[in-house]
Amino acid sequence: MKMDKILLFTVIVLAIFGLFMIYSSSSIWADYKFHDSFHYVKYQGVFFLLGLFIMIIVSKIPYRFYYQFSNLILFFSFLLLVLVLIPGIGSVRNGSRSWFGIGSFGIQPSEAAKISLIIFTSKYLSFSGDYIKKFWKGIVPVLCIVLIFFGLIMLQPDLGTGMILVISILSILFIAGADLRFFIGGGIFGIIGVIALIVIAPYRMKRITSFMNPWNDALGTGFQMIQSLYAIGPGGLLGNGYLNSVQKHFYLPEPQTDFIFSIIAEEFGVMGAIFIVSLFVLLFYRGVMIANHTNDLFSKYLSFGILFQIIFQAIMNLMVVVGLIPITG
Amino acid sequence: MGCYMFVREIDKRIRILFLVLFIPFVLIILRVIYIQVFQYKKLNSYAKDLWSRDLELEADRGKILDRNGIVLADNLTTTSLVLIPNQIKDKKEVTEELSKILNISFEDMKKHVYKKTSIERVHPEGRRLSYDVAEKIQKLEFEGVYLVKEAKRYYPYHDLLSHTLGYVGIDNQGLSGLELQYDSYLTGKNGAIQYFSDAHGNRLKMSDVYIAPTSGMNINLTVDIHIQQSLEREMDNIVDMFHPDMALALVVNPKTGEILGMSSTPDFDPNEYQKYDSATLSRNYPIWASYEPGSTFKVVTMASAIEEKVVDIFKDRFYDAGKVNVDGSILKCWKAGGHGDQTFLEVLQNSCNPGFVRLGQLLGKEKLFSYIHQFGFGEKTGVDLNGEGQGIVFPLNRVGNVELATSAFGQGPSVTPIQQVMAVSAVVNGGYLYRPYIVKSVSDHTNSVVKEYSKVMRRRVISQQTSAIMRIALEHVVAKGGGKSAYIEGYRVGGKTGTAQKSENGVYLVNNYIMSFMAVVPSNDPEAVLYLAIDNPKNTAMLSSYTTTPIARRILLDIIDALKISKQKGEVDKDLEWNDKVTYEVPNVIGKSIDEAKKELIHFKVVTEGDGNIVFEQSPRGGEKIEDGSIVRLFLK
Repeated sequence: MKMDKILLFTVIVLAIFGLFMIYSSSSIWADYKFHDSFHYVKYQGVFFLLGLFIMIIVSKIPYRFYYQFSNLILFFSFLLLVLVLIPGIGSVRNGSRSWFGIGSFGIQPSEAAKISLIIFTSKYLSFSGDYIKKFWKGIVPVLCIVLIFFGLIMLQPDLGTGMILVISILSILFIAGADLRFFIGGGIFGIIGVIALIVIAPYRMKRITSFMNPWNDALGTGFQMIQSLYAIGPGGLLGNGYLNSVQKHFYLPEPQTDFIFSIIAEEFGVMGAIFIVSLFVLLFYRGVMIANHTNDLFSKYLSFGILFQIIFQAIMNLMVVVGLIPITG
Repeated sequence: MGCYMFVREIDKRIRILFLVLFIPFVLIILRVIYIQVFQYKKLNSYAKDLWSRDLELEADRGKILDRNGIVLADNLTTTSLVLIPNQIKDKKEVTEELSKILNISFEDMKKHVYKKTSIERVHPEGRRLSYDVAEKIQKLEFEGVYLVKEAKRYYPYHDLLSHTLGYVGIDNQGLSGLELQYDSYLTGKNGAIQYFSDAHGNRLKMSDVYIAPTSGMNINLTVDIHIQQSLEREMDNIVDMFHPDMALALVVNPKTGEILGMSSTPDFDPNEYQKYDSATLSRNYPIWASYEPGSTFKVVTMASAIEEKVVDIFKDRFYDAGKVNVDGSILKCWKAGGHGDQTFLEVLQNSCNPGFVRLGQLLGKEKLFSYIHQFGFGEKTGVDLNGEGQGIVFPLNRVGNVELATSAFGQGPSVTPIQQVMAVSAVVNGGYLYRPYIVKSVSDHTNSVVKEYSKVMRRRVISQQTSAIMRIALEHVVAKGGGKSAYIEGYRVGGKTGTAQKSENGVYLVNNYIMSFMAVVPSNDPEAVLYLAIDNPKNTAMLSSYTTTPIARRILLDIIDALKISKQKGEVDKDLEWNDKVTYEVPNVIGKSIDEAKKELIHFKVVTEGDGNIVFEQSPRGGEKIEDGSIVRLFLK
């Protein structure tokens, strides 16, 4: 089997740079919480190695396997999504009941749901042929299943993951040739929905405006945004240099997760930001190449869907931390 | 190949989505550049505010100095202990060590060390530490334990000029007097040691920023400390001798309005102002007190009469029978039986009330009261101090013949000491009424002048000629009249006594007077006007001549010293009294033969030195006045 070396290289560079940045951004918190400044980076290292191992194993599995068992996979992840909602089985982290905790490790079934839905949709569309042109026969069945999953994820609740899931599936529908009118209609419907939500509860408008000027509510909704800006801004174009972030000193909550890009921009300036963004663009580009080069519809949809999902998630995160979109939908 | 076309369509859409997703990536990079370049300044300063903690460094308060640059309000620098509890690693050890050094209990120290605050000043045990204690703490080199400089106001001369200087509160903020009035100038800009800390208050290893404090500005006064000390000393003497209700003294340069000294009793020590009651603290009598002036006011009446040419004081005569009847009111002269026939110059010398009633009548109420107003009575002088009184002058429509008569000799109007001094200054300085002031300039800590004040002439009241006549008249009062005890040999001193009756609720009190003396030195070219008043002196004759003038004389001698006033020629000779030593002017005998010299030195005991017949040097020199029978040494060759 052919392996895309550039893709692999990109992923490994991202992962290793990630390890360095997790160390830099988390060491202060780690030392404070666990008296071990390497706490988080150790875990990440283990996951990195585990990931490499799993990657090798998974690469040995012919993708036809997923095609064959897509329904089973989907059912399985559906089951997990239901189970995680049951107190005692699923555990709550950051206000959402979205984890299966096993020791200090944790598994998010919504991650599995994203993949299994992409597999399912890819398979469905690959044999549906011209159905895709027809709204009721082609699109509605997929949308129904997606909405069920979205609904389950919203019960946790986890809007971010739910949205990524929906949009990833929509992207597959788009490339599969769904009528543009469907997306235009959907877009209009979405705008009307947003306006309706704002009319019902005007505080949502505040949320939206607060990301534009976070100082309006500096200790409330604007707090994280401000802390992120205090990292990126003072770093300047050249950055403070590796390990020299100030904001990681308890100012920025969870600097090693949601706001790691802020720390990268603080320590490496705009070069750090360009580096990360370029890697993601390259990753996506390689994914697009793969999708373009295969004539098998299932693998086309699958490879594109998976990469789109990764890239879209990255874009969402980056746009949030630089203040281009509000922190929570 | 419909399938192929279909696949191509998919690939096209994939590429479209790739391009669509490329846009947010570009936006993200542009946004980062925008934040790091265009918002850099704002975010950096906001973030620094967030990260930095200030250890405030107190700025020195500006000093208040006399006209010679002598510091009247100073600062004492002390060291204080400041803790940043979050930075202290081993709290128990720090508590133990500090409690030992400061000699306080472990529990008391613990309260400070374990306090949940960003910066803790150890008060009061850790304030104003001695050098030894500070050094011991320094040596421990504990993290989170700091020694900072603090300044405390200190008045080295204690009660000197206390009412005018005022005092400051615990945080060195001006609470009264010049300290309050010029607080914005005196207050410096605090500096800080700015260090960066994490969100938990721990110090970060980033370089500290030292922001130097800027000292406040200095206030330079017109006051001369030597004159002021003289006033303070005599105030103390007055208290010891007469136990008065109140006493005050005020010295002004009549040519400019500069206040050279002002004092009153009771006064206070601004270093510990808390120990005094509010009346003592707040009443700056020389500018606040308001009372009937008595005879010192006759200076105003006489100057007005001369200016209006209603009298020639040297030629016009007045017969004083001891009393005068005005509209049925009998106004008595202080001397029973009266002073008899006298010139108006003698009327002033004798402070003869009926004579002044005549002057008032000659002027008429419109003119006299017009001058009273022009000399500045009934309105504030505009002195640059808080709490000035205004006094009361009868409105013209309420002035009858009796009020005219009594006002002419100083009963009726209520005036402040500073009004009187400025009016007399105008009388003797050529006729110019100045606004009095005490702040000469404001200068910054590098001693460059930021603001300068100079004399302000309010108006011209009388002519040069009138002023010249008044100077002679006032000198006569001291040489021959009621001011004799203030006479200083060789110096020309003018003056006027006053004994004012105090009234309460419109009724004059019995045996309760304000005795005062107004002096001018030297009277031919006045450099200082002194006003001294003693309210209700005990154990003394009820005449100001005996009470105030000897004290005024001592002050005048100090003024002469302080202002380096040289001896003046052509003074009015003093009339002798039984206990006065007779003095004679030493003639110049240099170059004369010994026999000639001895003839001329008939009043003195001559001692010769050297062999010869001709005097080539003598001591004292010609022109000096010495007592009858004193030794004059002649050097012969």
